[in-house]
Amino acid sequence: MTRILHRPLAAGAAALLLFSAAGSADTVNFDMSGKIYTKYMYQNDATQGCLSMSNPFWVDNIGGHNGTCTEFELNIKGRVSDKVSAGVRLQSRWGMIWQDWWENGDLKPGIIDTSGESMGMNHAAYIKLRGAFARIAAPIPTVNWITIGASDLSMWNEWTIGKARYIDRDNGNGVFIEGTAPGKLFKYTAGAMALPKLWAGPGWQTGVSGNDPLASLYSTDWAFAAKFDARPTDELRFKLVGTLVKDWEADRNSPFLTGAPNAERGADHSVALATRFRGANATLDGAWNPDSWDFLAVSGLLAGSSNYVNPAYATNAVRNNQGFSPVIFKQDDKGNAISANALAGTLLVEVQDPFKTGLSVKFQYFNIGADYNAIMGSRREADVLITDGIIAGGFTRGGQLPTLNIANEFQDWDEAWYESCIGWKGGTALFEYLNGALKTTFEYTYIGYNTNMQNRDTKNQYPDFLYTNGFTDTTAFTADSDYANVYDRGKDPRSIYAQYQERRTHVAVVNVQYLLPKLPGAVLTMKGKFVDDFDGRIEKDNPTNSAAINTANAKDDYHGREYLGLVSITLQPTNELKTTLGYELSFWDEKNRDGSEAGGFYHSTTRRHTVHAGLTYAFGGALLSYQLEYFNKNLYRDRSAYYDMRWNVWRSKATFEVGW
Amino acid sequence: MQTSNARWLLAAAALLAASSASAAGDAPAAAAAPAAAAAAPAPAAAAPSSPSGTVTITDPKGDDDGPGTYVYPTDAVYKPGSFDITEFKMVPKGDTVEFTVTLASKIDDPWDSQAWGGNGFSVQMAFIHIDTDHVKGSGVRDGLPGTNVRFAEDEAWDKVVIISPQGPTRLYSEIDAKCPQWKSKIIVPKITRASGKTLVAVVDTAQLGVPQTTWGYQVLMQSNEGFPAKTDLLTRKINEFEGQHRFGGGTDYDNDPHVLDILVPAGGDPVKKQHEILSKYNKAATNDVKPDDLAVVPMVYPGAK
Repeated sequence: MTRILHRPLAAGAAALLLFSAAGSADTVNFDMSGKIYTKYMYQNDATQGCLSMSNPFWVDNIGGHNGTCTEFELNIKGRVSDKVSAGVRLQSRWGMIWQDWWENGDLKPGIIDTSGESMGMNHAAYIKLRGAFARIAAPIPTVNWITIGASDLSMWNEWTIGKARYIDRDNGNGVFIEGTAPGKLFKYTAGAMALPKLWAGPGWQTGVSGNDPLASLYSTDWAFAAKFDARPTDELRFKLVGTLVKDWEADRNSPFLTGAPNAERGADHSVALATRFRGANATLDGAWNPDSWDFLAVSGLLAGSSNYVNPAYATNAVRNNQGFSPVIFKQDDKGNAISANALAGTLLVEVQDPFKTGLSVKFQYFNIGADYNAIMGSRREADVLITDGIIAGGFTRGGQLPTLNIANEFQDWDEAWYESCIGWKGGTALFEYLNGALKTTFEYTYIGYNTNMQNRDTKNQYPDFLYTNGFTDTTAFTADSDYANVYDRGKDPRSIYAQYQERRTHVAVVNVQYLLPKLPGAVLTMKGKFVDDFDGRIEKDNPTNSAAINTANAKDDYHGREYLGLVSITLQPTNELKTTLGYELSFWDEKNRDGSEAGGFYHSTTRRHTVHAGLTYAFGGALLSYQLEYFNKNLYRDRSAYYDMRWNVWRSKATFEVGW
Repeated sequence: MQTSNARWLLAAAALLAASSASAAGDAPAAAAAPAAAAAAPAPAAAAPSSPSGTVTITDPKGDDDGPGTYVYPTDAVYKPGSFDITEFKMVPKGDTVEFTVTLASKIDDPWDSQAWGGNGFSVQMAFIHIDTDHVKGSGVRDGLPGTNVRFAEDEAWDKVVIISPQGPTRLYSEIDAKCPQWKSKIIVPKITRASGKTLVAVVDTAQLGVPQTTWGYQVLMQSNEGFPAKTDLLTRKINEFEGQHRFGGGTDYDNDPHVLDILVPAGGDPVKKQHEILSKYNKAATNDVKPDDLAVVPMVYPGAK
């Protein structure tokens, strides 16, 4: 076992070591690692902070584009005995900028603080316990491991309970049992996990009283899950995952809560629980890799979800929050709350260079039900479809996830964006050709939508996130005002449902990577992308249309075309230094992007030039990276309805990290 | 320079380099690499060789368990077969040489390597050790830091090609920090990528030399660890018990070989042979592991008669 103890850490560690001495462990059993991470951000605007996108709605005081921030992380793992190990992660709070001298977090709201103007604990860089776990190999039949405490929840999958995003990697806590059935018939994992009080339920919370007057209890909320993993042959693998999310509240009709604790009333000092939200998800996935056809791989997944919101304990966020809600508030014809149920499936066939010519191909079919939703599914940093999708740009990458709970927040401008693929139905063909220094891919994807519908109830049941049309400009997306992307409303990446939708999308992407001869480590990268996105909105011939539809808007069809081209070159002049320089041109031609059925729709075109330069320098365990970007964006809109907009933005981000 | 001329010159240079390896200081410095500091006897003469054609070495499926006891980490990204070598190939292509390591499972990129300047895969890593002279006393006997294996005296490696998902700057930084004494022998490929079940690396013959029929190869299959221990070259540890991101079935010390799969010479049951090879380490050595405590892995000489 590695033993590392560094002098700068000695003071802090000493207390821990002394503390541990009371147990059976001594310093030999400690495995410590530390990391210092510093980020510098600049942008030619008036924001301050070290985080491009913080909370998209109520911008907190760590979000902004100008500042330098440092954090420190200490991981300690202990080997308690042969079969018991434990670990903790201690990390400073992100948000302290270098100018925050003497900040102690002593914010005094409403009082003029003449001795430092405290910005609160967000800027105090206090060391926080981010996660603690213990792992036990108990001598219980079939059980391999029991884990108690912090986990990134990566043992399930994106369609059920997904791996927590990196910054949340130790925030999840639970009890997990991993085991193997007799005869190694299958492996199993079972777990009970505390729900995060934020984001995992109606109104992005599980019953915090200040945020939902109908709820007040969140410490009783749990998720339960089980996984069975079988490999009947070397060629075949199956995995079954089932999860249940339960957000409970105190039954407000419990006699103990409704009057005197009189036994005759039935009050017995106990309080029953009522369901506020229930989310059930299950997947069965399999993979077949035949030995005789080594070039072939087939994998597929079948998923189901059922989500129920109890309106007695959860405020209807679709109705009250302008359609912003991570769950559907499904009702029957009489207005009674019912479960939103849906199935989903994907099938992927991969044929890997069958003729030894360097040409491989992948086909993926996907069909995701309109009401599918994984409230605890992966919110970012995962991808369930092979397509480039709609949201990915040139310098900005992207992915697709089956949840309304996508998180494009608490991230910087250079990070990937994710879009919800709920309701997507179609297929992707992806061709790859490899030949020495050349790698090319070509993709064509057709997306139809199970969410296509006339006169969907987006007032009470289906969240539309207000912004349902238009390409999302992830490059210029900001949360530096009082609301996300206040300056350029593109489509909210979480938006799935529109009142009127008859949509289909074509995506074509070509990527080229070529290793240039003669130049050191020179790689030429090119990308071209075309998206044709059409939404007929109101279909007058549709017999389901009610007479109430405004037939005056004969020309309400949205038709967006995106053209993207990128070229960049990477050089590595020395072993330590890698540099990149690139240019991206985006042009969007969008008919009837903005407006309304009542007031009419208006065209817009967008042209964006982006120049991006970057370098990384790594030496002896230290890593420096720097990115400089300039983009010029012009948004031209119908002058009778809107004004034009222009962006001239310079921005940069540098990071420096050392770990030991 | 004409390509053909360059090739001849390189071939000549490779032979010269091979014959003068130890005299030129290729044997590791005692201070920098104590594990390799055993007295290096004068090398014997190299066997006659000629430029090699394509070399293919197959390896059985299902032997990605090191000495027979290793198990994968519990996280879902470590799919069955992810570290199971089924074929190693070396293909000379003019001024370059392409190495491929094919595994039993499709290679994915679950950690989005593009986000950290990586090469399109995340979990796997392979060290291709090459003995260019088959001469006793020449080359390096130690495996790269974190592999916890050694090579026999007459099978010490002269070059090693690293197939890693990490970008080149990170790799060079780690090499500088953890084994600078072998920097000139470690080759970071000009192209590293994954395609299907295959890891691909392309290196220049200017760095490697022109492959010869007498060369020996050994592929040590490991897993990329982005946050490695102080002494490990981006390798993932193998412990007594598996963890979310640690292999199990070994020991909690640095005496057990931290490799999942290797190539073995032809003849006999290759799985059994691998298990025997990797089981031969000093299990009693815990806190003070010496070079002789480690398992010795063989080179495979496909051109040997």
